[in-house]
Amino acid sequence: MNSKFDIHTSFFKAGSISILLWGVLFLSSLSVSGLNDKQYFLAGHVTSTQQQAIDYIEKIKELKPSAHWPNIKPDLFLKNLKTNIYKPASIYPGSGTNFCGYGALTYLFLQDDPLGYASLLMQLYGEGKSTFRNVIFDPSPAIKLQAGELKYKGLLDINPAEQMWYLSLADHYKGYLNFFNRKFDPGDENRFWASVNYGKFNRMTRELLHYDSEAIGADLMRPKVGSLYDYISERMKTGTVVLFINNRVVHKKDHIRIKLGVPTHFIVAEKISIQDDVITFMYWDYGRKTQLQVSTNFFKRIVFGISWFTKKENDAK
Amino acid sequence: MMLNKKIHILFIPLIAGLLVSCSPKNISTKYYYENEKTLDRIEETYKALYPLGPFNVGFTDRDFKTVSLEIITDTLSYIYEFGINETRISDTLAAYNLNAARIKTLIKEMHDIRCTWINYSDYYVDEKKHTMILMSIKPVALKSLFSYAKYYVLSYFPQPQYFDSEGRLLDKRKLRRLRKINGEVFKRINDRVCYSVAGHFR
Repeated sequence: MNSKFDIHTSFFKAGSISILLWGVLFLSSLSVSGLNDKQYFLAGHVTSTQQQAIDYIEKIKELKPSAHWPNIKPDLFLKNLKTNIYKPASIYPGSGTNFCGYGALTYLFLQDDPLGYASLLMQLYGEGKSTFRNVIFDPSPAIKLQAGELKYKGLLDINPAEQMWYLSLADHYKGYLNFFNRKFDPGDENRFWASVNYGKFNRMTRELLHYDSEAIGADLMRPKVGSLYDYISERMKTGTVVLFINNRVVHKKDHIRIKLGVPTHFIVAEKISIQDDVITFMYWDYGRKTQLQVSTNFFKRIVFGISWFTKKENDAK
Repeated sequence: MMLNKKIHILFIPLIAGLLVSCSPKNISTKYYYENEKTLDRIEETYKALYPLGPFNVGFTDRDFKTVSLEIITDTLSYIYEFGINETRISDTLAAYNLNAARIKTLIKEMHDIRCTWINYSDYYVDEKKHTMILMSIKPVALKSLFSYAKYYVLSYFPQPQYFDSEGRLLDKRKLRRLRKINGEVFKRINDRVCYSVAGHFR
């Protein structure tokens, strides 16, 4: 949890002019976010299996230091990459960062196309830039200096492959929340520079993942879907569901009574059930799975975005 | 005119005094030493109970009536909320083979001293994992208007730490970099206990 939610504090510090501009930009982004408007995205090529990724990564016995990433230790990089392929649930976007959106994306990526993930990161490490599908990642010099140097983020401290990847994603993809902080400075991983709004998250998944996807919701308004439980549980039967939630009321960190009703966090739904108006919900975020029980009203209060990802029939099993 | 001047003379120091007395800066090592036995007992109890079954616990409401309990297993974390007097707490703890009686005593001690949260936290030095206990308290002195949403956070390390000349916690001996925990700089109380005043209790 952590200063990943500090965006709100920083937001108010930005002043009224920023708020006005932010509002204008938000309104202009609604078409991207798809406010209560289903979006259908086309899937890409056939995806890969975990075994293909293991075969690929196990052939790499030793990695040389990369001239492009001077602060990344090759042995730690390789170890991190292998761990992510063997245990996708272990990826950890870091305590106190705004990387949760990139974490959810990566969790899906590792399940959809682990070989693509591994080869993309290897190319990025070796050549300093990479092309995946039609996306060209060419991280700025500041990013290349920072990767491997992030500290006090828990497990992310010793996972340079993840540092490189999350920083590169944040450097490449921009949404309206990044409008006032577009250039990386040390510490920006905790600030608006790294923030992910709902439209940006869906854009990233659409460009990088080989899924059919459908998104409903927005940054400031909850989706109108009738029974939220029915809507989500139905979709979980046929695909993977990512929720954009207001985590400030789920994972409380202070006792402030009036909290902004805005979403701040991306989680991947794992299981859901209901009994006597109480929803038992299991989700993935930050390197592990969590289960909690909430009332249907509370659940309705926290969910702002529902993204549903399904695989094509010809995808690898 | 003269009366106004007198009022000003009396009023300004009064406001200044109020601000200083309510300032989080006034909460420092003194608070720890005044409550050392209780705080250390909570830490010792938690440290002893954690290996029997990992858990984090605290209060998620201002009135210290709602207990939030996170039970951590190899595969999953379970989050529960209970009213402080609910008997369900014991049933739940027992279901996970945790020592319900001792954990309930811990919760009561935390309640009595307004301890908002306790958990284990990982940190890394030279790529090696270390753990510490973080405990946050909402002392009465931090309840005032001027210290709204501030918490006194203690970090208990299992081994002595390094500090700079101002008593700030360092990353390690050779590297003169300040170690941040949850984004905060911590100050020395003794070799293995530090404090910070933070806007978050975890």
